[in-house]
Amino acid sequence: MDIQVTYISLNRRGQQQRDQQRVAGPLINIGRGTQCQVHLPDPRVALQHAQITVAEAGVTLEAEPGRIQINGRAVDGAKLALGDRIEVGPYILEVEVPPAGLPLALAVTLAVPLPSFGGEGQRFVLRSPRVSKRRLAYIGFIGILLLCLLVPIGADLLGYAQAPDAKSASSSAESVVRTMSAKFAQTWNPGPVSRSHQPFGADCRACHGLPFVQVKDLSCIECHKQIKEHVPAAELTGAQGQAFRDTRCAECHRDHKGVQMAPRAQEQCADCHRDVKIVAADAKSEKAADFRTAHPEFRLSLMDADKPEVIRRVRQGKPASPDMVERSNLKFNHKLHLDPDGVRDPEGKRDTAGTLDAQGRRTILKCADCHQPNEGGRLMASISMESHCQSCHSLAFEPQVTKRQVVHGDEAEIATMLREFYARLVLGDVPPDVNPPKDLPRMRPGAVLTYQERQAALRIADQKANLVLRELFETRKVCSTCHEVARKADGAGWKVAPVRITQIWMPQSMFSHAKHTTEKCTLCHDVSNSKDSKHIAMPDITSCRECHVGAVAVVGKVTSDCATCHKFHAGRDYWHGVAQAQMLARGKK
Amino acid sequence: MRQHQSILEFKHGRYFKVALLLCVAAIGVYCWHEPPAAYLKPYGGTWLGYTLGTIGAVLILWLMLLGVRKRSYQSSLGSVQGWTSAHVYLGTSLVIVASLHCAFEFGWNIHTLAYVLMMLVIASGFFGMYSYLRYPEYMTANLAGETLETMLLKVADLESKCKRIALELPDEVNTLVMDASKRAAEKSALQGSFRRQLAGVDPKHPMRVARDNLLKSSTLKLSAAQTKAQEQLVGEMSRIVTLTDRVRRDLKFRALMQVWLYFHVPLSFALLAALTAHIISVFYFW
Repeated sequence: MDIQVTYISLNRRGQQQRDQQRVAGPLINIGRGTQCQVHLPDPRVALQHAQITVAEAGVTLEAEPGRIQINGRAVDGAKLALGDRIEVGPYILEVEVPPAGLPLALAVTLAVPLPSFGGEGQRFVLRSPRVSKRRLAYIGFIGILLLCLLVPIGADLLGYAQAPDAKSASSSAESVVRTMSAKFAQTWNPGPVSRSHQPFGADCRACHGLPFVQVKDLSCIECHKQIKEHVPAAELTGAQGQAFRDTRCAECHRDHKGVQMAPRAQEQCADCHRDVKIVAADAKSEKAADFRTAHPEFRLSLMDADKPEVIRRVRQGKPASPDMVERSNLKFNHKLHLDPDGVRDPEGKRDTAGTLDAQGRRTILKCADCHQPNEGGRLMASISMESHCQSCHSLAFEPQVTKRQVVHGDEAEIATMLREFYARLVLGDVPPDVNPPKDLPRMRPGAVLTYQERQAALRIADQKANLVLRELFETRKVCSTCHEVARKADGAGWKVAPVRITQIWMPQSMFSHAKHTTEKCTLCHDVSNSKDSKHIAMPDITSCRECHVGAVAVVGKVTSDCATCHKFHAGRDYWHGVAQAQMLARGKK
Repeated sequence: MRQHQSILEFKHGRYFKVALLLCVAAIGVYCWHEPPAAYLKPYGGTWLGYTLGTIGAVLILWLMLLGVRKRSYQSSLGSVQGWTSAHVYLGTSLVIVASLHCAFEFGWNIHTLAYVLMMLVIASGFFGMYSYLRYPEYMTANLAGETLETMLLKVADLESKCKRIALELPDEVNTLVMDASKRAAEKSALQGSFRRQLAGVDPKHPMRVARDNLLKSSTLKLSAAQTKAQEQLVGEMSRIVTLTDRVRRDLKFRALMQVWLYFHVPLSFALLAALTAHIISVFYFW
């Protein structure tokens, strides 16, 4: 079933030319594509625009919606009839009278020739953004490089940093560059500096000396002049010891990590102390790596009152070492003083039961009546006769005569005071609070004495004073209740052995009583059966471990790493030194 | 054999495997690594931090070399397709490498600036990848076998046709059509700024407005022939509107496929500067 297609065009003279072709059916494609039987070479026509179907019943035209118009009406398809005008893009297809034997004849005319470009079409050119990618890239690259690199090092580049005094800028330009450099260098700050470094945190150069050189120890020691070596460098041995000695401050103390700068990592301590011989062949400390799993028994630092220049370090353990005694020269019975029924007390101030015994009222003493933390809270304040003992242990030298007491701690001063006291009585000058002793002759008030009479009277007073002194030191045992008292070799007076009570038992630990006030004293210090001051009631590692574990957390326990108790930079003799100095000073008094 | 192979599938995802290996290795070593106690936590200054940082920096430099490689047509150093495939995968692996390098520590400083710029570059790259994968499909569907040029020719044709029809109609209508055509050209509604290209369909296109006005102005007294002509005019104008909408959509896709590069390229150069400053600053004040 063929159809006839006539292409009508105009020749150069404007005359119509008809080009007749026969196209085979039954399916005839119309479109731009060369495979189309009705070929309409125009970009405004679709590749396959429409389709003609030739059948017995008639010829039909079909196309996608909106593509063709038949007789001015947009249609999807229609049965073609003589005289129909079909618009296919810019083409007009007219149904003509077909030659005999053919079902259809089409005349194809290009009604609207392709407009030339440059006319209406030109405004549809794509335009790029006004700013090019390249320019944006330059702006970003140079901008950031300038602000974040060149400005921060500007002062160095111009050689200002080497100037002796950064504050005395020679020109205003220099001060501007300096200020800008310092400001923009803050963009380099990787994190907040530690609190104590905040005052100079904005000045990078305070710690970072030369460019491209790691922070040197000198920068630290410039301020931290007092810092102590962990161990004397001379004691470090071997390659690891050398490495430890060469460790820079900044390798442990990293700043710009937030506010905490002191490392607390147990591993750092354990690296050496797991077996400290690897860094110091002659080290005496025992192996330690973790408080719970690997820590030696505690060592107490003891000092004998008679040999204060020697510190005995005795390790706890079972059985206890025979050296584990305190030789303080003080006689003290904890058990007696902590009697649950109380102690005899002339005043009876703190009586709870209100009961009286033959001698008077009783007072129940508590630990805190004598032991109070010192101002810092870490140690206990020292105990003194005047504040803690004398309210019961009166130093009254002749209670029937006067309530006055001798001073504590100075034999010569006591002797002088007694002589003066009795001399005054002998000479007839009796103070109102004194009930003069019967055995002491005394002058009549107002009597005028000769020199010999006065001397004789004073001799009597001296004899009386010596008698009372002897009572104090020997017979009445006022002093010897607590002290070791001995008559001096030359017989002239008595010697009280110096008392030195240990105050810092564990100088290498930073135990703080203030942080343990929630616990009872007796939890760590058991003195309920201590009758002798030789007995030491310091807790051992087992009692600490009841609450404290190592660096690995255990439910219900206090996680404690090395730094919980130990100080790295304390210096080995730090506490010993303090303790010894304090004790020696007190011994001199 | 398939004619087209996505860069994502280059050599059966060879560079995907490489990048995956890199990420897995980096994460594995990061988890295994115990930083020196002084650092308290992982940090860019440990040996692992320096290693990851070096890998990241080298990767960034190499990724930027794609711009050079794709312009050197003579080069036989791998195919550009392979380079691009590696660029996409290894560029993505930077997210892991750089995050582990900085150990997730951020602040208001040059170091985090470099990180943020890098993330922005990668994000814009992701968008680019997405647009290259998705939009060509949308564009083909939108063009429906036509080209931008044929659609534009049709619009031009239709406009002149509208003008011809309008000649037979009352002055008001004729003016409306002439004016719309003129303003469409003046406003260069299709061309517009880059931003307007990105916006897509323009609801205020003069031809759309004119058609809607024409539909509303029912007060005019028209002859039967004029009524028919006006109907035809409205039809043609609607075709213009439909066509311009499609053209605009096409332009929108074209713009979208370009716009990411306006972020990707300048940001990567900003990143290069920030990276330089980062590296120098870290060792300058060591």
